[in-house]
Amino acid sequence: MWTIKRFPALWLLPALLPVALMTLYPVAYAFWTSLHSVMLLFPGEPFVGLDNYKRVVSSNYFHDALRNSLVFTLLAAPLVVIIGTLIALFLQRRFFGSQVVRSIVLLPWVLPGAISAVLWIWVFHPSFGVLNGVLRDLHLIDSSIPWLTSPRLALVSVVIAHVWTQIPFAVVLLMAALSGINSETLEAAAIDCRSALKRFRYIVFPEIKAMIVVLIVYNALTAFTSYDLVYAMTGGGPGTATTLLSFQIWRESFSMYDFGSGSAVAFIVVAISAVLIVAITRALPSDLFGE
Amino acid sequence: MQRGLNPFLTFLFATLIVLFTGGPVILSLIGSVVPDRILLDSSKALFSEGLNFETYRYVFTGQLPDSYLAETANRAMISDAARQVPQSLLNSGIIAFSSMVLNLLIGAPAAYVFARYVFPGKKLTFMFLILSPLVPAVALVTPVYIMLQTLGLVGTQAGIILVHTAKALPFTVLILSVFFRKMPAEIFEAAVLDHCSRFQTFWRIALPLALPSIGATGLFAFMLSYSEYMFSMVLSGDAATRPVSVVMAALARNTDVSWSLLNTAIFIAIVPTLVLVVFVWRFVVEGLLSGAVKG
Repeated sequence: MWTIKRFPALWLLPALLPVALMTLYPVAYAFWTSLHSVMLLFPGEPFVGLDNYKRVVSSNYFHDALRNSLVFTLLAAPLVVIIGTLIALFLQRRFFGSQVVRSIVLLPWVLPGAISAVLWIWVFHPSFGVLNGVLRDLHLIDSSIPWLTSPRLALVSVVIAHVWTQIPFAVVLLMAALSGINSETLEAAAIDCRSALKRFRYIVFPEIKAMIVVLIVYNALTAFTSYDLVYAMTGGGPGTATTLLSFQIWRESFSMYDFGSGSAVAFIVVAISAVLIVAITRALPSDLFGE
Repeated sequence: MQRGLNPFLTFLFATLIVLFTGGPVILSLIGSVVPDRILLDSSKALFSEGLNFETYRYVFTGQLPDSYLAETANRAMISDAARQVPQSLLNSGIIAFSSMVLNLLIGAPAAYVFARYVFPGKKLTFMFLILSPLVPAVALVTPVYIMLQTLGLVGTQAGIILVHTAKALPFTVLILSVFFRKMPAEIFEAAVLDHCSRFQTFWRIALPLALPSIGATGLFAFMLSYSEYMFSMVLSGDAATRPVSVVMAALARNTDVSWSLLNTAIFIAIVPTLVLVVFVWRFVVEGLLSGAVKG
C-alpha cells in the first residue's frame, strides 16, 4: 500500500460525481419530504417534524412488515451466498458438460423481474402449479400444498424465488474470486490436508472472504429494499404474511398519495439497513472496510 | 490439482443445479409452443397436438394465431406489447451496454486507487460510495424525475443510462477493488522499480491482469441495468424507446394475455441476452481458469 499526498481527484471524481448527482439532491429531497406533510390531495406542505415517523411506526402494518422484512433478509441473503459458494466451488471443476451447466446457471439473470414472478407463480400455483403436479405424480403428497396461500409457506416460497433471481450474480463473482487463489497454495494444501472441509475453512475461505462480505452486504441490501418480485407473486398476502417494509414505501407514496409517510418509511428502512451493514462488517471483519 | 468427485455425485449435483436455475425457464419454453387449451387441461397430454409456433409468428409478423381468428375468440388475450419485444431488446442492449462501459471506464481507476493507495479523504469517499445505495429506489423516483426533467433528460436513453450507471457504480468500485487488492504486491513493486508512473502501472499491468475479473464485473453492471425496472419505466418515453424490462412487465401484469403468447415473449426476450451473456462469461471463465491472475 503506497501513500499519495494529495487527494487523487482525476482518478476518483469521474466515479464520485455521477453517484453524488444521483444521491445528494434526491436523498435530501426525500428527507425533506419525510419531515413535511406532502399529500397530493391537500395543497400546502406544512412542516410536521417527526409526525410522519410516529404515524408510520404506530400504524397497524408496521410490526408485521418489519418482522417479515427482517425474516426475509435474514433467510435470503445468507442463502444466496451459501448456495452461490457451493455452486461456484462445484463449477470450478471440469467435468463432462461443465460448460453447459456454467451457462445454465446464468439463466435467472437474463429474465426481467416481472417475468421471474410469473414463472414462479406457475411453479407454486396451488391448482395447476408444476411443483404440486410433480409431487403428486411421484405420490409424495395426496392433496395440493397451498404454497402461496398459506401464511408460513408463502414467505418461504417468495424467499426461494428471490434467492433464485440472485444466484447467478453470486456464482459469477465467487468463481472469479476463487480463481484468484494461487494454485501452488492449493496444491500444497491438497498434500498437507486430506479433509476438503478443512481445506475450505483454512485455505480457500480466507482468500474469498472479502468477496463474500461484499456479496452478503449487497444481498442484504437487495433483500431489504426490493419488493417487486414478492409483490407480483403474492400481493403482500395472504393477510400480511408477505407484506414487506420496502413495499410500504411504494404503497404510502403512490397508492395512498401520502409522500411524507412514504419517505418516512424509506428512512426507517435506511436506518435498519445501515445497522445491518455495520453488523455484517463487524461479524466478518475484512480488510476491505478498514484502512 | 483437486481430486475429482465421484461421477455419480457430480451428475447428481449438476442435475440439481440445472433443475433449480433452469427449471422455470424450461417450463416457459414448453409453454410457448403448447396452446393454452392443452396446457390448462390436465386430461390431455402436453404434446398431443405437436408443437405450435403461431405465437412466434405473431410476434414477428403480426399475423394472428389461427385459433384467434374465429368469431368467438377472445382477442384480449393477444396483446400488442408482445410485438414490441424485439425493438425493446435493442433499446435495453444499448442502455445496458453504455452503462457497462461507463461503469468500467470510470469505476476501474477509482477501484484501483482505493485498493492500492492511502490518501487523504480515502475513508470519507469510500464510506460515501458504500452508503449511497442505502436509500431505497422507490423513495428517490420523484426527486430523480424532477432533476432529470430540469436537465431535459426525461424520455431519453441518456437519462436512463445516467441513472443506471450511478446505481451500479458503488458496487462496481467495491467489487473491482477486491480484485485489485488480491493481486500480488511484487508485480507492482517491480513496476515501480522500472519507473512506471501510476497511470502506466494501472494501464499496462493492473488492467491486463484483471481482465477476466473486469469481464465478470462488466457482466454485473450490464445485467443490473438490463433488469432495472422502476427508473426505466418512469424515465422512458413512447413505446419505441422502452427497454425490455418495462415491456415485459406490461405483458406480465396484463392477466388477460394468453399463456403461450406470454411465454413466447419471454423466450424471444431471453435468447439473445443469454447468448451474449454466455459468450462473455465463457471468455471470463477461460481467462480465470487459465490462471491469468496467479502470482
